[in-house]
Amino acid sequence: MVRSKRNGDLYFGIICGLAALCGIGPLLWIVYDLVKLGAGRISPGFFTDAVRESGRAGGIAPVLHSTFLIVLCCLGAAIPPGLGVAFYLTENGENRFRKWLRASVDLLATIPSIVFGLFGMAFFCRFLGLGFSILSGGLTLACMILPVLIRTTVAAVEALPDHLRSSATALGLTKTTILLRVLLPGATPGIVIGITIGTARALSETAALIFTSGYATRTPDSLLDSGRSISVHIYDLAMNIPNGAQGASASALVLLIALLLINFLTNFFSELWLKNLHSSK
Amino acid sequence: MAEESALIEVKNLSINYDDFAALRDVHLTIQKGNITALVGPSGCGKSSFLQSLNRLTDLIPGCQTTGEMILGGKNILSPGCDVLSLRRKVGMVFQKPNPFPQSIRRNFEIPLREHGFSKLETTDRMEDSLKRVGLWNEVSNRLSRSAANLSGGQQQRLCIARALALDPEVILFDEPCSALDPHASGVVEDLISSLRGSVTVVIVTHNLAQARRIADHLAVFWVRGGSGTIVETGATDALFTSATDPDAKSYLTGIRG
Repeated sequence: MVRSKRNGDLYFGIICGLAALCGIGPLLWIVYDLVKLGAGRISPGFFTDAVRESGRAGGIAPVLHSTFLIVLCCLGAAIPPGLGVAFYLTENGENRFRKWLRASVDLLATIPSIVFGLFGMAFFCRFLGLGFSILSGGLTLACMILPVLIRTTVAAVEALPDHLRSSATALGLTKTTILLRVLLPGATPGIVIGITIGTARALSETAALIFTSGYATRTPDSLLDSGRSISVHIYDLAMNIPNGAQGASASALVLLIALLLINFLTNFFSELWLKNLHSSK
Repeated sequence: MAEESALIEVKNLSINYDDFAALRDVHLTIQKGNITALVGPSGCGKSSFLQSLNRLTDLIPGCQTTGEMILGGKNILSPGCDVLSLRRKVGMVFQKPNPFPQSIRRNFEIPLREHGFSKLETTDRMEDSLKRVGLWNEVSNRLSRSAANLSGGQQQRLCIARALALDPEVILFDEPCSALDPHASGVVEDLISSLRGSVTVVIVTHNLAQARRIADHLAVFWVRGGSGTIVETGATDALFTSATDPDAKSYLTGIRG
């Protein structure tokens, strides 16, 4: 009896180990593949040179430039309304409009990115006349990451102790002061995490951008120029360019490292922040 | 006991949470500069009463207050009452110490700057009120460190100092010692006692011995017909020795409650 139970433990352990391997295996495989194929292409010049031969040669400098601008537009457009909606939702009291707003945020989160791309093309590019541009792409991505931002901010504010709001109210502070000076500092680590997730999604987005910011490989002169983000570059090299695999892998490796770096820095800073807030406890 | 003059007149106060009447027909006079303790079993509306004194009940969805609470000739409960300046006049200290999880200095800057004090005045007031609660020597060299690092008792004194910094006429205490260890509790109790004469104190406590030690006046709350109400009020010593209401008497003498 005892022996068979011990064997059960062993088998269960093996199953769990295998399951863990399934989780980490694909990541290792991807990294191995990217390094094997793409690492040879990466050199300082890869980051500073223009795209040549559709990406089979040269670097990715204009792509990085466009990506940076698109993400910047996206965050700039998404953060203010995202925080606004989240703070509105966490205010005391439930009414019909709040319920409706919550439901539409949840619905927005389920919409596939290709649909955002089509919407962006119809609305920003055509209706607002922004054309295929960095701005159109950034605004489209902003719509896409809005639900993530709202949800994480709501969670961060709701995680704050209730008494924070009542103690601030009892001091005769206005709602705005309570929000900006008391709740916002407390919720910042959570909000930063939301922004990171949003940035990661924006960085890795292809479908929503092909129709909105285009795929020109030149360096954009303004936000109204079209430009190619790094994920679109990878997609194009992998799907449309013969012998593009090496360039695609090298770019993907750069993207992967950028995402890991953003993740690491965010964790680092939010832990630092939390430590400052509640050091001894 | 300080000189008697009414600061707050409560007439016919009722508090409802949706359909539930938490408090009914409460009358109470709160004397200026005195310490008034609200005692009674849990769930008889003491905290609701306390929170209605600075309109913190506004935060509770479904909460309705009727009746009158007159402070300085104005009805606190009227819709036209400026709640922000009311709350500046009527400060509050809670059961759980609740400094903002920011620096000690910020805990003063946020409310003081909001109420229009200059940077210089803010620094002066912070120092004065920290001295008043006996915390200055303990924290003067770490004002930019987080208030969350302080011990529970220190945090509670910080909250009292933060309330005092706004120069309130009244401070409401909602069981301010019940989350503290006995030593810290004693320090905070002495501090509340020391406010007598300069600030009017209304304190909810479940600790009858504490009420007896510090309060000038008592109001005994009890549940009658499903709702809380005040069954007896009076000077503390008189009430402890000769309460007339049978529930109040048995509660104060330790037979019930």
